Amino acid sequence: MDRVIVTVVGVVATIGFSAIVFIGANKLFDLSENRFAVFNSVLGGVSAAAVFGLLWGNRMLTSPILVTVIAAAIGALTGLGLGVYKSARTRMLIGIGSGAALGLILGATVRSQFWPSIDWLAAVTGLAAGTVIGVLIWVITGRRRSLVPRLMLGLAFGWVIGGWVAADFTATLAEDGTLVSGTTAGSQMEAVLVALVLGLLVGVWVGSFTYPDKVERAEISRASRKYIFLLPALAFVIGTLVIPLARTIWLGFLTGNPTDLQWAGLANYQNLFTDPNMIDFENWTMLFESRLFWGAVVLVILGIALGRWLGRSGGTGLGTGFSLSAGTLSLLAGGVTLLGFSIFVAVRGTLSNNLWWVFSVIIFAVILGLGVAVLADRSKGENIAKSLIFLPMAISFVGASVIWRLMYVPRPPGEPQTGAFNAVWVQIGEWSNDTTATTIIVAILMVVIAGLLYLAWRGRQAGSTAILAGSLVFTLPFFWLIYRFLGPGIGGFVINDAGEVVADPIFFITTAPWNNFWMMVVFIWIQTGFAMVIFSAAIKAVPEELVEAARIDGATESQTFWRVTVPQIFPTIGVVVTTLIVTVLKVFDIPKVMTNGNFDTQVLANEMWERAFTQLNFGLGSAVAVLLFVGVLPVMFFNIRRMQRERLR
Amino acid sequence: MTATRRPPSTVKTAGDGPRPLGKRIYGFLRSIPTWVLWVLVLVWSIPTIALFVNSFRERDAQRGSGFWNAWQDPANGFDFPTLQNYQEVLFPDVGAGLGNALLNSAAIAIVATVIPVAIAAFAAYAFAWIDFRGREWIFIATVALLAVPTQVSLIPLLSAFSQGVHMTIPIIERTITLIPDANLSGTIPSVWLTHTGFAMPFAIFLLHNYMAGLPRDIFESAYIDGADHFKIFWRLVVPLSVPVLAAFAIFQFLWTWNDYLIALTMIGGSAEALPATVVVASLAGEFGAREHLLTAGAFVITVVPLVVFFFLQRYFVRGVTAGSVKG
Repeated sequence: MDRVIVTVVGVVATIGFSAIVFIGANKLFDLSENRFAVFNSVLGGVSAAAVFGLLWGNRMLTSPILVTVIAAAIGALTGLGLGVYKSARTRMLIGIGSGAALGLILGATVRSQFWPSIDWLAAVTGLAAGTVIGVLIWVITGRRRSLVPRLMLGLAFGWVIGGWVAADFTATLAEDGTLVSGTTAGSQMEAVLVALVLGLLVGVWVGSFTYPDKVERAEISRASRKYIFLLPALAFVIGTLVIPLARTIWLGFLTGNPTDLQWAGLANYQNLFTDPNMIDFENWTMLFESRLFWGAVVLVILGIALGRWLGRSGGTGLGTGFSLSAGTLSLLAGGVTLLGFSIFVAVRGTLSNNLWWVFSVIIFAVILGLGVAVLADRSKGENIAKSLIFLPMAISFVGASVIWRLMYVPRPPGEPQTGAFNAVWVQIGEWSNDTTATTIIVAILMVVIAGLLYLAWRGRQAGSTAILAGSLVFTLPFFWLIYRFLGPGIGGFVINDAGEVVADPIFFITTAPWNNFWMMVVFIWIQTGFAMVIFSAAIKAVPEELVEAARIDGATESQTFWRVTVPQIFPTIGVVVTTLIVTVLKVFDIPKVMTNGNFDTQVLANEMWERAFTQLNFGLGSAVAVLLFVGVLPVMFFNIRRMQRERLR
Repeated sequence: MTATRRPPSTVKTAGDGPRPLGKRIYGFLRSIPTWVLWVLVLVWSIPTIALFVNSFRERDAQRGSGFWNAWQDPANGFDFPTLQNYQEVLFPDVGAGLGNALLNSAAIAIVATVIPVAIAAFAAYAFAWIDFRGREWIFIATVALLAVPTQVSLIPLLSAFSQGVHMTIPIIERTITLIPDANLSGTIPSVWLTHTGFAMPFAIFLLHNYMAGLPRDIFESAYIDGADHFKIFWRLVVPLSVPVLAAFAIFQFLWTWNDYLIALTMIGGSAEALPATVVVASLAGEFGAREHLLTAGAFVITVVPLVVFFFLQRYFVRGVTAGSVKG
């Protein structure tokens, strides 16, 4: 029970704290307009505390807490003074005074290992360089604002480098030219001197700001909002996306274990691409021996032929002489799918697996999503149907993997099958070996074929070549089924030596290479809902007038769909496809939970995880992550172009 | 002058044979799709039903027969339906300690939903209604980051959480600490921070789409009345944006509740802080003695999102479709 309390307290505290900080920032800048002094003093205190806090975090101060508090107090007082006095001279005095004070404190409390030994040459060079930089900045910003602040900033920067840091530079070049880690033997006096000058320079900078009048104060209040509103979001984006991305790319060029990384150039990438587990062309000639491949070729040829035949009476769709319709598209789509599958089965490896995932998921999720959206459109119980298809989206990938593992599980022969798939498969096997069952099934199949033939004949009578062709093509699988039932049998069985029929379940998850596909089914099961919901909204968004006009012109349902609706939703199809690509390239949960990448099912995300966190090879893991990133780059560019077109008109 | 009337429908349209025949074919064709749809819906729901039914069966019952035979369990000497799986899986001393993990999941999901919603709402408002230089480009850059996969940031983020962020200047061999080691590795706050960062692009995209569509006049009259951005945001925009804020909140809640990769990476070994997805995933890795707990565990982590989904799916759907559909 106290776990619950701890959790609740933690949640409320975090949310509360963030709210307070944010609202606090807003209220603070609210003050700037009418209570400038208060605002300025808070600003001063916070800035001073931040600077000294950074030094504290770097362990550069003795008695850090005390120092930071004092510095904050000085900063607040300075701010207060600058918020009250308007005369330029007073302000300069205040600035110089506090700058000197802070400088003295810094010099007095910085740890001995940071004491500089002043190399006057380096210091003067630093000051000169700083002057140049300051003037440059002033020139670049158009000489609009006063030179002095920029000059001061440049000088301060140059002084730090020249007076403080440069000493280290010279100390690290030993006589024989090797780099030796520098130990500077400085003194407290020099530290105080350097810090004092630094403080004075910064103080002049601060003191050179003029007291803002009412208009300028209102401007501060107004202009600050965009920073307050945007900064948290942008800070998170830069901190968790941009910088880590850059660092990962950098890490991809390093090798070794996490505490001792060395430059390796392209070695990681070479390693990856020559690894047969990544991509394996060894058996690619198998492609031409596979039934899948030739079946695919046949389907594609049939599809093209059908398209041409249907289109000979004047083509539409893909130009002259070719007709795009349900029949041709299904043949072509089927052919292309099988073609892709045959390639991915012949060429193995992690990369091939990822490409296979992308290929399958896009084809099946889009087709199923579109299909359901169309079927459900304006039918009874539309919302219920759509909700039930969309339901799996709420299930985590981990949960879905468990669910489907239950569906796929095989039991040894002799035990009843508990997984739905194997139960059906083994049952069909039993039926095909049992004469009564076979007779009944064949009879049913013959009725279906008769029905399809009748439909074809009626279609021909009605002049619809689509129905005619479609029905005829659809009879083919049923003929094949009859052949299998009567002949060699179909289903999960095997005849053992004693001539008995023994159950032979399929090991869906562990049998390469098709286990990949069975895992993709899980993903498709989840994401089809997403595609369906978007397509459904898109179909409903097609302007009524277009559909009406097509109907009046005499188009059939099918023609209206393919030639009016589909072109209208092309952009939506693009959005769905790109979103799916992004989601599927990083698929991790399903392979990790179902096989952990074994049995030839490895994917890039899991590979990266293993390399980086199990083998602690950050370099190689980062290289794989970079590969993943390269994979989504096209999608990123596509999105950027799309947004540019929309927004920068 | 008579108004043109649409000609009566004895005109033959292409694709029609003699009318009764055409009508019959049409009718038949029109009804097939509805059956196909419902068969598909049924087949689609079978896996979830299987899990649900199996989670109420005893271990040996699950081993022995498929979920469609569950009703025969009592006849075979098994207790059905039984709650023993749920008991075992939820309570720490016996089973997998999923009860604890569920609390962690809730802690992660709630904070990782509320904070991104708030931060993104402010940013989206700024992008929509505050004019500043470079607004378009920063917006496009931020939303383009939507596509970046999580994997790309994991390694550096994990390093940052466990060791802090340091920069070593090569020649003088000095290391500057930018962010000190706050001892965040293996804790839930690291997951909060990661989720917030990753949610930003989508959140800003979604909320901005909506906020930019609010009518101009309300802003103008507010300006005239002297309100500044903060007041306008708080008093006008937020109440008006509740639908899209709700949509994103639900989306983000489901996403963070169901997340596996980020929690696994950031929390890793610290068992008390692991959320439910990681615990169930590790259960799934064991074959044998505790397999029966898997169904109950999986159902438990699924039920919360399902409930949220059922009651709030209207908003969820709106969140998913926003910005994807033209017109």
